Amino acid sequence: MRPDDLSRRTLLTAGGALAASLAMPSILRAQTKEIVVGGPAGAAKYFNEAVFPAINKSLGVTILYEGSNSLTNLQKMQADRGAPKFSVVIMDDPVMIKAADEGLIVPITAKGSPNLDRLVAGAVHRDGMWANYQRPWAGIAFNSKTPAPASWADLWVPANKGRVIVPSIQNTEGFWNLLVAAHLETGKPFAEAQYDIDAGFKKLKSLVPSLLNVYTNAPQAMNLLEQGEASMIGGQFSAYTLTRKAEGAPVDLAVPKEGGFAMPSGIAKVKGGPAPDLADAVIDAFLGPAVQEILVEKAVVAPTNTATPRPAGFPDPATLFAPDWAFVARERGKWAERWTTELL
Amino acid sequence: MIALLPPIDRDRRVALLLSGPAGLILLALFALPLGLLFAVSLQAPPGTPPGPSLAAYERLLTTPHHLGAVWNSVKLSLAVTVLTLLVGYPASFAIARAKGRWRSLMLGCLFLPLSASVIVKAFAWTILLRSSGIVNTVLLGLGIVDAPVRMIFTETALIVGAVNVFLPFMILPVYAVVAQLDPRLSEAAATLGANPAAGFLKVTLPVTMPGIVAGVALVSALSVSAYVVPTLLIGERYPTLASTIAKAYLLTREPAFGAAAGVVLLVIAVAIVVLSSRLAREGRA
Repeated sequence: MRPDDLSRRTLLTAGGALAASLAMPSILRAQTKEIVVGGPAGAAKYFNEAVFPAINKSLGVTILYEGSNSLTNLQKMQADRGAPKFSVVIMDDPVMIKAADEGLIVPITAKGSPNLDRLVAGAVHRDGMWANYQRPWAGIAFNSKTPAPASWADLWVPANKGRVIVPSIQNTEGFWNLLVAAHLETGKPFAEAQYDIDAGFKKLKSLVPSLLNVYTNAPQAMNLLEQGEASMIGGQFSAYTLTRKAEGAPVDLAVPKEGGFAMPSGIAKVKGGPAPDLADAVIDAFLGPAVQEILVEKAVVAPTNTATPRPAGFPDPATLFAPDWAFVARERGKWAERWTTELL
Repeated sequence: MIALLPPIDRDRRVALLLSGPAGLILLALFALPLGLLFAVSLQAPPGTPPGPSLAAYERLLTTPHHLGAVWNSVKLSLAVTVLTLLVGYPASFAIARAKGRWRSLMLGCLFLPLSASVIVKAFAWTILLRSSGIVNTVLLGLGIVDAPVRMIFTETALIVGAVNVFLPFMILPVYAVVAQLDPRLSEAAATLGANPAAGFLKVTLPVTMPGIVAGVALVSALSVSAYVVPTLLIGERYPTLASTIAKAYLLTREPAFGAAAGVVLLVIAVAIVVLSSRLAREGRA
């Protein structure tokens, strides 16, 4: 778990979830219509304040949320594989791929969750093993007192030396800079450049002298950007940057001319998890327009249900590049090793 | 039955009975998981014949990058321990010798920061050390530097921040011993002809040694395994054993490698504690 994930709310929720799962047999829990959902800690605030109350109102289900990061949740699911605590899990696609490969999740069906059939193209993966309930978009986050970067190449501009931050390859958004570097180095489109990782490392190496830091902890990086210590964060995304902007912070998100990227936010049903029917209903709610409208406003993300209106100024999800996450998931361990030995 | 036994045997039995529950808890919550950790660290890597293997240890201790992480942890621990001792030892005397309100104030200054989370402290250091932060402003104002010095995300910032976070763990055990110290001891040494330096080396230092050992053991064990402080103050560019463990379990999903790093971390921490207490014993002898 990342240190920033340990908010009091997260701890309380996690503690509550633990107490509930220890103290109550599953039958009693089913009667009280209560389920545990695991997901990203960064979303805990708007999930608990807006999304869960709405689901509770429409379905009468109380959701206990355990916020952590995707990789930590995967580790937990593996550890309680015999008696899962989560009914539903919310994770990024590269981690979903691992969860599916390790047999920790089961497919969502249109019978249990009818909204599955109403999603935009490419939002349902592996015949319903998981689905994207939202699409945050990634670009370059910048301090709004400085001009917006027009191209991804601006990260390399000497004027920004010592003021650029990039995410670690350990974070999902860490892949974008590697991909952009491969594209800039080879001139190939993203769809081809994504497999040319050697070129990406070569180009990224020339960015190292410009780096202020490589973050694993997004709030700290955002804080430095807001204070003006950093001028740009390459590969940051809407659900993080634009929510801070909405709160009044002097930051904004640019989609450079080469294009932006679709962040993958998946929801899945845990294999053998408690209250499977409630899990179907909660997943259906996340895939439905009512919850997605809340997410569009609170998390600043593109919706995936075709019936959810897309607000002005939101990029068309069809123009955002979505990479081959299966390739990323398979190779990321190796890249992580190269990242630390070659770049840092 | 116990009452009929000779007194020494009886004492031993009573001690055994009394320590039973704590022993069981330690066995279940500490010894057993450690045994499991060790067993996992010996798992053969995927794609090789099963059975015990030292491959994970070999990779950790022969790859320059991973060896660098081990060294970073040890280096951080040494630097932080020495600096907290240099700052904390005299501070403990100041607190012990202070009277009434002053002592309360000093203890308050020591305890209050403990209630703030380490994350808050790490963020605070980033704010103090950044280019427009107070440290750079003062340096610029005094004309010591012409342009802001890059201080955040450097090893110096990490050590300064870690010393700040771990200092109370050095002062408290030393203070506990110093507070019990009879001030007349050094007067007696002076009466017997010892100069202040000799009095300190022959009397004060040996008497306060148990506090120093406890402080050194605490601070070095905490700093060698620190995860949050290096993550926030220097980041990925400074790999440590703790970050190696996290990465192995969470990102690359190599439990044997993570467990091996855990065992190495434990061995280093235990070695520091054993060494420091042995040094202390020799110092007293």
